[in-house]
Amino acid sequence: MQLLKNIKKGSPGWFLLTAVIIVLLLIPNFNIIINLFGEAGENWEHVKNYLLINYFQNSLILVLASGFLTAFLGAVLAWIIAAYDFPGRDFLSWGLILPLAIPPYIGAYVYQGMFSYTGVLQTFLRNSFELSLNQSYFDFMNLRGAIFIYTIFLFPYVFLMTKAFLAKQSASLLESSRLLGKSDSTIFLKIILPLSRGAVVAGSSLVMMEVLNDYGVVKYFGISTFTTAIFKSWFGMGDLATSVRLALMAMLVIFVLLFAEKMLRGGRKYSYSTSNIRPLSRRKLEGSKKIMAQLFSYGVFFFAFLLPTVQLIYWSFLSRGGELMETLYFGLTSFLTGGGAAVLILTGAVIVATTARMSSGFISNLLARITILGYSIPGAVIAVGILLFMLQLDQVFAFLQSGFGIEANIVLSSTLLMLIFAYTVRFMGIAFNSVNSGYEKIGENYFEAARTLGKGVTETFFKVDLPMLKPALMSGFLLVFIEIMKELPLTMILRPFNFDTLATKAFEYASDEMIYRAADLSLLLILFSAVAIYLITHRRKRREK
Amino acid sequence: MMQLKINDLTFAYNKKEGNIVENFDLEVEKGEVVALVGASGSGKSTVLRLTAGLEIPDAGEIIISGQTAAAANKFKAAEKREVGMVFQDYALFPHLNVEKNIAFGIDHLDKDKREARVRELLKLVNLEGFEKRYPHQLSGGQQQRIALARTLAPGPEILLLDEPFSNLDAELKDKIRNELNEIIKEIGVTTILVSHDREDAEFMQARDILMN
Repeated sequence: MQLLKNIKKGSPGWFLLTAVIIVLLLIPNFNIIINLFGEAGENWEHVKNYLLINYFQNSLILVLASGFLTAFLGAVLAWIIAAYDFPGRDFLSWGLILPLAIPPYIGAYVYQGMFSYTGVLQTFLRNSFELSLNQSYFDFMNLRGAIFIYTIFLFPYVFLMTKAFLAKQSASLLESSRLLGKSDSTIFLKIILPLSRGAVVAGSSLVMMEVLNDYGVVKYFGISTFTTAIFKSWFGMGDLATSVRLALMAMLVIFVLLFAEKMLRGGRKYSYSTSNIRPLSRRKLEGSKKIMAQLFSYGVFFFAFLLPTVQLIYWSFLSRGGELMETLYFGLTSFLTGGGAAVLILTGAVIVATTARMSSGFISNLLARITILGYSIPGAVIAVGILLFMLQLDQVFAFLQSGFGIEANIVLSSTLLMLIFAYTVRFMGIAFNSVNSGYEKIGENYFEAARTLGKGVTETFFKVDLPMLKPALMSGFLLVFIEIMKELPLTMILRPFNFDTLATKAFEYASDEMIYRAADLSLLLILFSAVAIYLITHRRKRREK
Repeated sequence: MMQLKINDLTFAYNKKEGNIVENFDLEVEKGEVVALVGASGSGKSTVLRLTAGLEIPDAGEIIISGQTAAAANKFKAAEKREVGMVFQDYALFPHLNVEKNIAFGIDHLDKDKREARVRELLKLVNLEGFEKRYPHQLSGGQQQRIALARTLAPGPEILLLDEPFSNLDAELKDKIRNELNEIIKEIGVTTILVSHDREDAEFMQARDILMN
C-alpha cells in the first residue's frame, strides 16, 4: 500500500528505471551467493586446509591495524586543523587530503624503492658516511610495511569526515568547555573524541574497506590476503569455483565489520540541544605549541605526499621522460574511461536518488543501502560476480546465435562494457551519496513549489532540481573519477585484452621492477587525482564564502 | 458556488505516531477567505498540503470546483489541480531571476502574453522594475510578494498561504497584512491561510476555523 502511495505521488517512469538499476547492482552479489551451492573447485580442499587461516589472519591484521592507526592519525590532524590557527593551516586543510591522490600500491613501490639497498637513502648514507645499516630496518615488504603504507595514504578519509564534523558542529560545546576552564587536551579527550566518534568510525571503516579491497600493495609485498587469493585461484589456476568461495568468505568478513561499525556508531546517539550551529572559531597558536602543530602536520604531509612525489619526479627525470607517447596514450585511455564511466554512474545515481527522495523513509533507506553495497565489497569479489553473470549471458547469446545459424562468439565477457558495468556496481554508492546530500541541502520546498505551479515530476527535475544539483553533481563526478583512475583489482580482472589504464600499467611496470617507467605513469595518475581533489575542495570553499 | 469541499479527511505521516488530521471537514465558497488557526502540530499545514496534492490522504475526499481531486481510488497529481501555494519560506528558485520565477508556471503561453502577465503581476504586488533581480537580492517582504506573484500567475482556483506572516518582524507584519489583504480582495481569489495567531485571521477578515 505504501509503495502504491509512493508511485502515485511520484512518477512510475522513475520508479521503473530505478528498479532496473537496482537489479543490475544486485546481480553480481546474488551470483556469488547462489554459486556457493554449486560444486566446489578442485583446489578448494587444499585452500581450505592449508591456506585459509593465513588469508584470514593477514587480512584481519591489516584491516584492524590500519583502521586503528588511521583513526588516530586522522582524528588528531582533524582536531589540529579545525581548532587552531597557525601559518600554513589553510594550505594543510586541503593539502592533507592530497595523499588520497597517491594510490597505496604506488606509494608501496616508491617507499620500497626509496629505502632499499640501492635506493636514495642507503646509497647516500653509504657513499657519504660509509654507513652500512642493518637491512631489516628498511624492509617494507611485510605486514608492518603494508600497515604503514595504508596508514599514511588512507588516513585522509578519517581526516575529511572528522574535520567536516568538527568545523560545523562543535563551536558552542568547545567554547563552553573553554569557559569552564578546561585545558585543550582535556577537551579533546573528554568532549571532542566521544562526540566525533561517529565521524571517526565512519572514516576508518572506509579505510578498512579500502584495505580489504586492495590488491596492489599486498601483491607487491608478497602478502597473502583474500584479494590476492581470489586472483591466484582465478588467474593462476583457472578455478572460478574456488574464487567464488573465497569471495564469499571475504563478504562475510565485511558483514562482520559493518555490523561492528553499526554497534560502535549506533550504540549511543548524541543529539544537539541547540539548533544554532555556528562554525568553529579557531584559536591562534603561539610559541612552542605553534611549532609542534606545524611540525606534526607538515611532517605527515611530507611523508604522505611530498616525499613520494619528489622521488617519483626524480625517477621520471632519470628516465628522461621515458616514452612520452606511451605515457600520454595510457593517460588518455584512463581519462576517457574514468570520465565516461563517471558520467554514466552519476546519471544512474541521479535517477536512484531522485526516486529515493520521492519515496517513503523505508524505501529510500533501502535504496541507499543497496547502492553502497558495492563499495563495501572488495573489487575482486565484485569482479567474480560480474564475470559469472556475463558468462551466463554470453551462453544465452551463443544459444540464440546458433539458433539463427550465426557462429557463436563472445559478446559481453571481457569487453569494456563489462568493466564499466563493474565500475558502476562498485562506485554507485559514492555518486549516490553526493547526489543525495545535494538533495538534502536543497530540501523539498522547491520541488513542491514547482509541482503546485503545474509541473510534473520530470519537468520539475530538469527545470528545478538539476540546475540546483549542479555543485553536488560536480563533486560526485570528481570523486568517482578519482576512484576509477586509481582502481586496480576490478580493472585487472575484467579489462579487455590489451586494455591498460595508467593504474594497471604503472602497477605492471612496478611489479617488473621497471621503476622509472612506472614513475612516469604514476606521476600522471597522481596529477589527475590531485587536480580533481583541488577542484573539489576549492569549489566547496568558494561556495561556503 | 462551492469551491472546495473536504469530507472526512484523515491522514498520518507515520502510522505509529497516529493521525495528524482526523475526520476533517471543510467547505469553502468561491471568493471566500478562510483561516485555519491552531498551535503547531495541529495539522493545519497538513490540510494545505493535502489540498495542494503534496500528500495523499489515508481516507476521505477532496473536491475542488466540483471535481474530485482525491478519494479512495483517485488521486489527482499536484500539477493538475490548479491550486496555488505560497510556502512558508517562499521557495523562490534561487537559480532563476524574478521574471523567470514568475513566468515558471505560465511557460506554455507565448512570449508576448507571458511577458504581459509577468508585468501585470509585478504591478499587482508593487514591485515593477525588479524583473532582473535574483531572490537573494530581495528583502524578506519582497521575496514574499514575488512568491505570491508567482503563485497567482497561472490563475489558480484556490490560493493557499502557509504561515504567511511567521517570517516577518512585527513592524513589517502590519504592512504586509494590509498589502496581502488588498491584493486578495482585488482579484477575489478563494484563499485558505494557515496561522498560529488568531489576530491574523481577524485582520484578513477571514472566517476562522480552530484546529486542535
